[in-house]
Amino acid sequence: MKFISTIAVQTSRNLQKTWPTQFMTLLTVSLSVLIFSFFFLIYTNMIKTGEKLGDDLRLTIYLEEEPVLEMQVQLVRKITNFSPVEEIRFTSRADAFNRLATQLGEDVDVLDDLDPSFLPPSIEVYPKKSLSTLAQIQRFSEYLSTLPGAIKVQYGQEWVERFNYFTKLLRIIVFLSGILLILTTTFMVAYTIRLAVVARQAELEILRLLGATNNYIRTPFLIEGFLQGILGSSLGLAALFFLYRWIQQRFTGPGILQLVDFTFFSPMIIGIIIAASITLCIGGSFSSMRKFMRI
Amino acid sequence: MDAQPVNKPIVEIVRATKIYPPDIVALEDISLSVPYGEMLFLTGMSGAGKTTLLKMICGIEHPDKGFVEVAGKDLNRIKDKEIPRLRQQIGMAYQDFKLLADRTVAQNISMAMEVAYHNIRSIKKRVIELLQKLRLEHKHDALAGRLSRGEQQRVAIARAVANSPALILADEPTGNLDSKTTKLVMELFEECNISGATLIIATHDEHIYQGANHRVLELQNGRFLPQQGRSALT
Repeated sequence: MKFISTIAVQTSRNLQKTWPTQFMTLLTVSLSVLIFSFFFLIYTNMIKTGEKLGDDLRLTIYLEEEPVLEMQVQLVRKITNFSPVEEIRFTSRADAFNRLATQLGEDVDVLDDLDPSFLPPSIEVYPKKSLSTLAQIQRFSEYLSTLPGAIKVQYGQEWVERFNYFTKLLRIIVFLSGILLILTTTFMVAYTIRLAVVARQAELEILRLLGATNNYIRTPFLIEGFLQGILGSSLGLAALFFLYRWIQQRFTGPGILQLVDFTFFSPMIIGIIIAASITLCIGGSFSSMRKFMRI
Repeated sequence: MDAQPVNKPIVEIVRATKIYPPDIVALEDISLSVPYGEMLFLTGMSGAGKTTLLKMICGIEHPDKGFVEVAGKDLNRIKDKEIPRLRQQIGMAYQDFKLLADRTVAQNISMAMEVAYHNIRSIKKRVIELLQKLRLEHKHDALAGRLSRGEQQRVAIARAVANSPALILADEPTGNLDSKTTKLVMELFEECNISGATLIIATHDEHIYQGANHRVLELQNGRFLPQQGRSALT
């Protein structure tokens, strides 16, 4: 109890003396957490959206001729031999025509002068979820195009590829902003503590002469690191939450945000970000103090 | 300090030599034994080695030859983590005071007790008591940097004795004091000595030890003067 009260007094004294630098460090930590968690939030939501889109992934193989029943069995076997699938659906010329007519709705009369067999027959393949990467989809698509009678395979290549590249880019940004967070948090806190140590060199020397233990000298600085971590990350996440709410309120309705089911971090992720920030800040503080303790 | 070992001196220096670079001999082959509860005066001209000797006793300086033992601990072999505990039990009043100018008198004195984790109430009580004894009670909240040299010296002395240490080292404790204040300081030292503390006081001021029944050792060029040096060896 005496230790705790003495350390609390020491810490509050330190904070009173160095509050301008402490405040600047707090802002830097908050900003770093905000930048990192902003990109991380987008990334996690994109991953979620990607999974959702993956559920709807469908590869359509257009055929020259409608396959007879035996041929259909053979095609199904060839497809499932290459990769397990959720479902395979055959669409005849007539089915394709009817589907188009349904889709046209009131404008169905545009089809009046057309031959009902002008659309090619097709096979719709719904792959399993295990087929998740772009490379796997591409390989599967290439294989399907070699099936007997196949003219063309479509799966919204362009869109899937773009989405994939965007997710990759986001992964890099998250990685870089993560490094930024680690560097700024650790170094800023380390330098703030070092500045405080240098500013209080005379006092710390006297404390040593009076018999202060390493714990007595070090603990207040570690508490400062802890406070920087918990307050900085909480402020950063709070700012992100307000930004998220603002975006949600203004961009709801039809558009990309409806396609993307945009959600905030789960309490566990919030806890992990705060815990990581605290660890980094205490680490920065500890490294500065370790150098001083060696003197 | 831990329980007093029977017949063991609190300070034992054996053939210690201290040389500052390049070749300034501060102390040469000196031996000294101070039993628990003694009040010892070290005299000698400036540069005789008094301050170096005190710094060696509190572990700030280490001898190049010989060894120094305080409360049974060989300071050459003492573990790093044991040093704070030892220093908490040695009160040193430095010649240059080593006060924090931007802290109040009370805060400066409290530091010695805070590092030993005394509770806040007992710290406050002890600070007031010491300030009263040294007639500084009106300076309780004054910044140390704004005090006169004499007042700063008294604050440094109050800090040295605040923790009721077993060993008190005072380097020229009355150098900036008038005779009245010197008397107050010496009364405080006597009181500490009666309570069981061992005191080693380095001084120029012969008035403070003349007539008193305490051992006086004179240093010259880093050695005890022969007649007194012999008496210093036990």
